[in-house]
Amino acid sequence: MAAASSSSTESPKTTTERRGIPGAQFVEDVETYLTQTGFDVNSALAFLQERLQQYKLVEMKLLAQQRDLQAKIPDIEKCLDVVATLEAKKGTGEALIADFEVSEGIYSRACIEDNDSVCLWLGANVMLEYSCEEATLLLKKNLENAKASLEVLIADLQFLRDQVTVTQVTIARVYNWDVHQRRIRQIAASSTSKDS
Amino acid sequence: MILKGTGGSETEVTWEDQQNINKFGRLNNRFHELEDEIKVAKEAIDNLEDASNELILTDEEVVRFQIGEVFAHVPKEEVETRIEEMKELNSKNLEKLEEEKESVVAQMAELKKILYGKFKDSINLEED
Repeated sequence: MAAASSSSTESPKTTTERRGIPGAQFVEDVETYLTQTGFDVNSALAFLQERLQQYKLVEMKLLAQQRDLQAKIPDIEKCLDVVATLEAKKGTGEALIADFEVSEGIYSRACIEDNDSVCLWLGANVMLEYSCEEATLLLKKNLENAKASLEVLIADLQFLRDQVTVTQVTIARVYNWDVHQRRIRQIAASSTSKDS
Repeated sequence: MILKGTGGSETEVTWEDQQNINKFGRLNNRFHELEDEIKVAKEAIDNLEDASNELILTDEEVVRFQIGEVFAHVPKEEVETRIEEMKELNSKNLEKLEEEKESVVAQMAELKKILYGKFKDSINLEED
């Protein structure tokens, strides 16, 4: 989405764009807005509808990203759990016996000896060996980053939803103003025809 | 939530009204998210309850306890302790979520009063 230009002079009422999402301009008065932009009612409505569609597209994208992150965070927490368990077992000298899934429905037993290191899957077919402390640090850092990204994403979504609401309200107001104008014209026309 | 005009209504929408409407929308979204989260938390607590009941019934010394993706062989007492801890954590989490939900509902009721007061029929703030 192209970045929008900077805000007009009425800055408290016009939110500028945020990370590529254009802000929806709040309309004080429908008539002034239409004369300022030079739109007639139908073009204004079409423009606002198109904006709404663009917002919806971005919202879908952000929601998908949010779902991914929300799935990633419990995964990282599970890994931290496992590393913590291994570290706890380190002192005792006994091996950890665990059943793990070999294939769907088929499990096998593993005997995990006392170990100082774990291997972490970093993605892209890469796996690296780390000491338990380093692994814990790395996983904690990843967890922090994921949580921070999620917060930024949620803030983006809130901003986006606000812009969607403003645009929907503006569409309703422009439409109502048009209906009101037509009614006035109709009354004026019928009264002139009655007079003549 | 829909904002629909009954056509010809003269009520003007000020920036403050717009901000109230935005806030209501945000609260409504948060309300639905909280409902989902509360459902998940309640399910988790039920599962933990079932697990600890099963634990009391079983006579095995070693229980396979899920850590991450694997089932580790853990002595029964340790599993009991862990499950108790997890139940504590989940209950606290559920309490926090319920509190937040109550606060959100209260704020939404406030905003409804204000917005209906100004716009009366021109605005619809109910769930469809």
